[in-house]
Amino acid sequence: MEKDGLGLEITELRLGLPGTEKMMKKRGFTEMIMTSSGSNSDQCESGVVSSGGDVGKVSESPVAKSQVVGWPPVCSYRRKNSCKEVSTTKVGLGYVKVSMDGVPYLRKMDLGSSQGYDDLAFALDKLFGFHGIGVALKDGDNCEYVTIYEDKDGDWMLAGDVPWGMFIESCKRLRIMKRSDATGFGLQPRGVDE
Amino acid sequence: MNRAIKSRLSTSEMNYFPDEVIEHIFDFIASHRDRNSISLVNKSWHKIERYSRHQVFIGNCYAISPERLIRRFPCLRSLTLKGKPHFADFNLVPHEWGGFLHPWIDALAKGRVGLEELRLKRMVVSDESLELLSRSFVSFKSLVLVSCDGFTTDGLASVAANCRHLRELDLQENEIDDHRGQWLNCFPDTCTTLVSLNFACLKGETNLAALERLVARSPNLKSLKVNRAVPLEALTRLMSCAPQLVDLGVGCYENEPEPESFAKLMAAIKKCTLLRSLSGFSEVAPVCLTAFYPICENLTSLNLSYAAELQGNHLIEFVQFCKRVQRLWILDSIGDKGLEIVASSCKELQELRVFPSDPHDEEDNNTAVTEVGLVAISAGCPKLHSILYFCKQMTNEALITVARNCPNFIRFRLCILEPNKPDPITSQSLDEGFGAIVQACKGLRRLSVSGLLTDKVFLYIGMYAEQLEMLSIAFAGDTDKGMLYVLNGCKKLRKLEIRDSPFGNAALLADVGKYETMRSLWMSSCEVTLGGCKRLARNAPWLNVEIINENESGRMERNEEDEREKVDRLYLYRTVVGTRRDAPPCVTIL
Repeated sequence: MEKDGLGLEITELRLGLPGTEKMMKKRGFTEMIMTSSGSNSDQCESGVVSSGGDVGKVSESPVAKSQVVGWPPVCSYRRKNSCKEVSTTKVGLGYVKVSMDGVPYLRKMDLGSSQGYDDLAFALDKLFGFHGIGVALKDGDNCEYVTIYEDKDGDWMLAGDVPWGMFIESCKRLRIMKRSDATGFGLQPRGVDE
Repeated sequence: MNRAIKSRLSTSEMNYFPDEVIEHIFDFIASHRDRNSISLVNKSWHKIERYSRHQVFIGNCYAISPERLIRRFPCLRSLTLKGKPHFADFNLVPHEWGGFLHPWIDALAKGRVGLEELRLKRMVVSDESLELLSRSFVSFKSLVLVSCDGFTTDGLASVAANCRHLRELDLQENEIDDHRGQWLNCFPDTCTTLVSLNFACLKGETNLAALERLVARSPNLKSLKVNRAVPLEALTRLMSCAPQLVDLGVGCYENEPEPESFAKLMAAIKKCTLLRSLSGFSEVAPVCLTAFYPICENLTSLNLSYAAELQGNHLIEFVQFCKRVQRLWILDSIGDKGLEIVASSCKELQELRVFPSDPHDEEDNNTAVTEVGLVAISAGCPKLHSILYFCKQMTNEALITVARNCPNFIRFRLCILEPNKPDPITSQSLDEGFGAIVQACKGLRRLSVSGLLTDKVFLYIGMYAEQLEMLSIAFAGDTDKGMLYVLNGCKKLRKLEIRDSPFGNAALLADVGKYETMRSLWMSSCEVTLGGCKRLARNAPWLNVEIINENESGRMERNEEDEREKVDRLYLYRTVVGTRRDAPPCVTIL
């Protein structure tokens, strides 16, 4: 994409004194991203033009997935109401996606509204209309399902091991998985036993 | 009539007819452009046309003033007004930029205009304006607000309470402050004239009882679009008392319904044999979509583009039975395979919009669509004439094939999610692909281009896109020549919007007169400088040249005012009323 080296700059018509080449150079997309992503890697400021529009988005790799204001051109009403962007924005506020094996749609829940694992168990039961998820959290080995979560590092962990406060800070999404599928899934081992 | 008589019916002969007869003839001419042409024939026709004009369309609210409008068309009944430029949809225009409705309502009320219909797009509407509207126009019938903001449900309450003959209240994609009040209760019991009610964009609770009563007493109701707060049981009751519905927007059903509720819903849906258009479905359990199977074959319009929770297979399962669908809006979770199925099932398809479910690729999933889906649609749907397609990638070969399959495109908007992306197979730009589109589609009126593009694509556009009226460019082109090809070539161009492309002063200033033939030009993050814009403003006093600054808090620093400073956002438009006086501090009008 870079068009350096063709020497066409000299033929470009432009107003301005010599020596202002830096300003005049065509800005490639990747260039724009490099200059826009600041030192803050967790919450990327959206883009070059700060028109104060979009909420800052959580982005895993600011350079590769960085956003420019207004791109792609999806109107703001639609962004707020349909895209998965909605879910991602909510992550910071305690909302996580919850999926359950065998259920064809995802649910979202606000972790912040639960006080502890018991609360969470109850909420999950309610979410899917299924009694028994909660049991998995409390009485791990006897249940058909296990509740696992993806943490900030992208690892899948068994829910219930770490203190609640630590859990809600690091949990990005939840999954209720059949116990039979869980072995060999690649769950991170518990710190205590193994 | 024999030929001799026909040939004598020139304008002068026609003037021997009484004015009423000429006016009657004009009544058959509905198109704004034709009526504009008629009014230019001679003074007599101009006068007759003025007094018989009931519908006026104003594409840019700052091109004319309300006072002049009313002076010219005193018998106005229906007004359409558009405010902010299109790129405001993408957060590129400051919130307070302008487009205020109030001066218009004020003037129309003072001028005692018999307003019956008002359609607004990207305007700032206040509760005060709505209140004034509701009290000033006795015969007011229809209010359509698209992408507007600035008002609350209190404003809606005024409209409901005071517009005795209200037929249509259509709120599309507006940002409305929901005070969770009782606006639906404000429709008096005597209001039985509703034909269309759309409040899908309201975020708050809805008074279900009031809504049901309203629907029950509206026998002419053809279109009903409810918001998320209307649950399944309520929807069932609504549909049961309005089986005459033609257009339905459903709410949000997160939970899987009880079998009994579901059965009742299906029964109610079966009775709606006139239903042709379906939309809504934000956050809906897939099973609820299946409740509509009984009538899906009747659907001509289907909008599932807000159903982010539905997965591809659910979408496909439903859409494949919608054999008569002409307008389909859907998310890219349908996938290329899904589009292939649409292509083989939906032979009546005329307009397709495929929106991105994951615009920033945060999920790292690969369900986005590619050129494969587009080619399939173009091959399978002979009536296709309008497309908006967000995709991961596109190839020249695919575009050339699409052009060959579908020479009838009127609107072709392609958005490759990653800017500057080349043809993934050949690594070349997409100049040839888009070139094929403009060459084949002789009736093309609207075009959006994307991907890696050089000046060459604009050469093609300038050469072939003779009917092009609106062009959207982003991250494209190499030099000023690109923009010049377009300005010089596209004779019917009305709106040109450009972002992040290397076009500068030379292109901007080459033909100042061109802008008089256009509605507007938008350029952001391009190479135009303040000096260039000032020069343009000097040479074209009939243009408003607006500079929108990056730093919103104040005007451009006087001591740093450097003619060579690049302008962040430029918006210029022709106007007969000069500089507007309602611009905020962040906007400088040269």
